[in-house]
Amino acid sequence: MTAVEDPRPEVAGGTDGPDSSVTFALTVDGTAHEVTARWDESLLTVLRDRLGVRGPKTGCAHGRCGACAVKADLGDGGHVLCSCLVPAATAAGGTVETIASIGGPDGALSDVQEAFLAEGAVQCGICTSGFVTAATELLDTNPDPTRTEIEAALYGNLCRCTGYGRIVAAVETAARTRRGDA
Amino acid sequence: MLLEAPRFVLPETLAEALAARAERPEAVVVAGGTEVMPDLLWRNRTAAGFLSLRRVAALRGTTTDGGDLVIGAGTPVAALTTAPDGGLRAAASSLGTPLVRTEATIGGNVVSALPYRNLLPTLLAGGATLELTSAAGTRVVPFDGFVTAPGVTGLREGELLTAVRLPAHVGFADYAKVGRRNAQFVATVSAAVVSRDGVARLAFGNAGPIPLRSDAVDTAATALLDGQATADDLRSTVAAAVDPPEDAVASADYRRHALGVLAVRLVTRAAVDAGLGS
Ligand SMILES: Cc1cc2nc3c(=O)[nH]c(=O)nc-3n(C[C@H](O)[C@H](O)[C@H](O)COP(=O)(O)OP(=O)(O)OC[C@H]3O[C@@H](n4cnc5c(N)ncnc54)[C@H](O)[C@@H]3O)c2cc1C
Ligand code: FES
Ligand code: FES
Repeated sequence: MTAVEDPRPEVAGGTDGPDSSVTFALTVDGTAHEVTARWDESLLTVLRDRLGVRGPKTGCAHGRCGACAVKADLGDGGHVLCSCLVPAATAAGGTVETIASIGGPDGALSDVQEAFLAEGAVQCGICTSGFVTAATELLDTNPDPTRTEIEAALYGNLCRCTGYGRIVAAVETAARTRRGDA
Repeated sequence: MLLEAPRFVLPETLAEALAARAERPEAVVVAGGTEVMPDLLWRNRTAAGFLSLRRVAALRGTTTDGGDLVIGAGTPVAALTTAPDGGLRAAASSLGTPLVRTEATIGGNVVSALPYRNLLPTLLAGGATLELTSAAGTRVVPFDGFVTAPGVTGLREGELLTAVRLPAHVGFADYAKVGRRNAQFVATVSAAVVSRDGVARLAFGNAGPIPLRSDAVDTAATALLDGQATADDLRSTVAAAVDPPEDAVASADYRRHALGVLAVRLVTRAAVDAGLGS
């Protein structure tokens, strides 16, 4: 278990008495934590503000933008979801893989991340970890997606900067690289 | 029980969930959380605690029983995008985003009971029934009549929605909605159709405070299906049957018009499917 570093004051206490906290185990990017959070806190808040895991971003905080996307196993095998929509304690005993689990342990970039760089699919970067997470899940399940399938899979991820063209191109490039096509 | 705290309970079995429901009447049931979490964020509701159904495996998955498709209330909408029923498939596929559909459950959609929710017209057109379970046992009620006002249902204290039963049928079923834009939109109005053996049945969303259907509409839809009536006849019957809301999204007149358009569109698709139209 690692100690929680510097939890932010606004989430540290809770506002409705000592009964309001809940304590549970959660493994994030391979590290086991014991988390104490408010009962209604989202998984995104716990990751960012209690555990200091800053890969998932807070875009809208209500399920519209996908900036908070992580892969989580809530006892159902695991899939990519919006961490802002999940009450954190629902994940008790579960595992979460953020963008930090997608690249190599030494900071090496994954094929999808390399393709995002090569295609110029990153501008301000707020949306990027969510897009890479969703795109990685797509290519893991469908190695040869059509453009329509790519657009459908990324429908829950919003980008204010790029206009999406470079992002779709990056996913196509990553798919080609992964298949070994030129 | 996976986790028990004063304000949070995470059961693993249905029996644990029902016991928790009885013991903690003040707790908000949360399935996927895709309605509840935004509601809390926007302070549209308050909660004294959560009873999370997410780890109750028995509530997830689809089976068949007799002629019914039995869908566990905790089944994610994503799983329904490949359902055998065309209406359910279309309604599920156009709900939210892929990242929402993996969490959103059919149970949450039904119990939210808002007139613009995707699955409701499909369940009404298809003649669905609901399994409502408490520690005392299960009762099965028709979906028709379950929603009594926007956001209000016939669910009693201590009860959970445990399954939705949709009669499987050989026939045609479809769903369509219109919204203010093409991406991530809430239905301004919606409609579902089921047609079998030459008989069409329609149901509408946001055509009134609760999911709506009418015998007069079904008679006109069936007549259109076999060429005994015109599209105008169906449109005017729909306009007379519905009582749509007027709000910042659309006028009641617009909704009345759009509901007629959707009705004709869906019956035309049913006719094409049956080889009756072109
Ligand atoms: C970005 C976004 C887009 C969306 N788009 C759409 C859309 O296009 N169409 C649409 O219809 N909806 C949409 N929704 C709303 C929502 O995702 C769906 O209504 C979903 O099906 C709700 O399911 P849930 O399990 O997440 O519900 P929850 O939030 O967990 O619960 C909803 C309500 O149902 C109750 N409840 C849940 N399960 C049970 C049960 N088994 N027994 C008793 N009570 C229960 C809860 O107490 C609560 O009152 C969207 C939501 C988001 C965040
Ligand atoms: S922050 Fe979760 S979807 Fe926008
Ligand atoms: S790069 Fe800025 S939001 Fe996508």
